[in-house]
Formats: sequence, C-alpha cells, structure tokens
Amino acid sequence: MSSKQPKKPDARLVWIVVAAFNEAAVIGPIVSDLVRRGYRVVVVDDGSHDATGQIALSAGAAVVTHPVNLGQGAALQTGIKFALQQSAAYVVTFDADGQHRPADIARLIDALVDHDAAYALGSRFLGSSRGMPPGRRLLLQAAIWLTRVMTGLRLTDTHNGLRAMTREGAGRIALRQNRMAHASELLEQIAATGLSHVEVPVTIDYTRYSLGKGQRFSDSLAILFDLSAQKLHR
Amino acid sequence: MIAQIGLSILLAGVLVYAWTEYRRAPVISVLSMLVATAGLYFVWLPNHATKLAALVGIGRGVDLIIYVWVVISLILLLNLHLKLRSQAELITVLTREIALANARMAEPRK
Repeated sequence: MSSKQPKKPDARLVWIVVAAFNEAAVIGPIVSDLVRRGYRVVVVDDGSHDATGQIALSAGAAVVTHPVNLGQGAALQTGIKFALQQSAAYVVTFDADGQHRPADIARLIDALVDHDAAYALGSRFLGSSRGMPPGRRLLLQAAIWLTRVMTGLRLTDTHNGLRAMTREGAGRIALRQNRMAHASELLEQIAATGLSHVEVPVTIDYTRYSLGKGQRFSDSLAILFDLSAQKLHR
Repeated sequence: MIAQIGLSILLAGVLVYAWTEYRRAPVISVLSMLVATAGLYFVWLPNHATKLAALVGIGRGVDLIIYVWVVISLILLLNLHLKLRSQAELITVLTREIALANARMAEPRK
C-alpha cells in the first residue's frame, strides 16, 4: 500500500490484557512468557478464589482485581481501561487458558501497522487449530454466520479471544456484556465505529484444560438471550 | 361488576407503571400499555371479547382475558429481568472503579 516500510512499534507500548478467573494452575508461565517478550501485561483477576492474582503479580504482570466475579467481558473492559490509563499505544486481549500463542501477538501488531487498521482479529480458520472437537467447529460456524447477519462483518472467526487494537480503537470499545456475549458485542461495536479491521491467521491449541473452560451449546443460547435482552433496555 | 372494577384498577395500575417505565425500556413499556389497554377494553365489553375469542379459536371471552393477563405477567417478568440487568451494570461500573483504584503494579524482577 505504502512505499516506505512502516516502523515496528516498541513492545513496551503494547499492553496485553488477560482476563483470569481461577487460573492459578496456568497463569504464571503465560505471564512470564509475555513479559519475557517485552510486553506490558495486565491480568484482571476476576474475583478468583485461588492465588491467580498473586502468581500473576510475581510473574511480572500488573494486577487489577475485581472484588466479585463479573465475567470475562467485564474483566476485558476493565483491562482495556487500565491499559489506556497506562498510555498503551496498542492493546491486545489474550486468553488465560493457554490456548493462544504469544508469538502470534507480534503478527497482530504488525498487521495493525502494515494495514493501518484499528483492529486486528485473530482467526483460527485462516490459521490453524489443533484438537478442535467437531461440535465446537459447528458452533463457531453458526456464530460466524450470525455475526455476518447482525453486523455485516465478513469474518472467518468471530469468537477468538486473541485480538489487537490501536489506542484509538480500544478507546471506542465499551463492553456492557459482562459474560460470554461480549465477543459478539465487541464485533458489533467494531462495525459501528467504522474503523478498519484486518483478520490475521493465528494458531489455537486446544488442550483438555482449555476445553474444560470453553463454551458449551447451552452457553450459546445464553449468549443469544443476553444479546437480545440488551436491545430492549438502555 | 365488582370483578370488573377490581380488574380495571389492576390494569390501570399496569398502565401507569408501563408509562413510567417508558424512558428506561420503551419496547416493553409500549407492549405493556397495549396489552393493558386491550385488557381494560375487554373487561368492560366482554361481548366483544367473546366475539374476538371465537374469531381466533378460543372458547370464551373470559378465557381470552385470562390469556391476556398471562401475557401481561410475562411481560412484567421480562421487565423485571431487564431491571436486574441494569442493576448488574451499575455494580459492574462500581466494581471496575474499585479494581482500578487498587491496581497493583508488577513486582520488580529478581
């Protein structure tokens, strides 16, 4: 698009937002890996009953603790707000269950810079996923179709927790869906901003741990209900 | 007559309540007002209710009114649910502010 090579941003300007609820078993190595790569990390401890917050703090993350459990959407919004307060130039959302690869973050940030986009959305269907159960694939395909109908966004993956946004992009996000419906709400808000987005292939590693934390069919019904209910009140 | 007056008072109550909710949940409010108005109409003109009931395949006008009442209850239940959601949003805002005010920065690496 442009003739000159865009400058790669300093990793210290990138804040990684990790929403965590009872993730003491896995959060330490994930934070350490991110910190080692030079990123700033904020773990939003969403009212965990275990030592998630302390472990994340020792591993080098800033920790913001919800006194009560609110849900992943609320935790991400808190993390985004914190990152913006810390003068983040880029904000990345990253799942705490270990299914994302820290190496993919640089590709998301590069995509933002190269395409001059406000949002870079990870896609496991452009990239790859290992160990995805067929039921999960079907559910994700249904969500992709629904997103297309509701927001007009033609995406290949709509429920991928790995995303990057510029400071301007992050500032335009205001999640009200506290629980799982936030992923769809985020895409609605991205579509409403009119700012540009780009999809980036990423790899998802499904482990027994991450599948245990993942969504079930009944959750998707709850998401549909939450999204409809929000349209009925201010 | 007594039943009609009692029902009318209740439905008028629903009507007023729905009106006061208009700013917060316009869709629910308008729905409630429509159903409550229809209820009032049929309480005083049960013949029309009977005719309409026959038209839509419900046995008696009274049955139709009972169904209308059930619908009103369900709408009010939904409204209550939406109110709880608004409360949850307020709690979220408060929780977030408390969390951000008490943020702990990374411990220096050893």
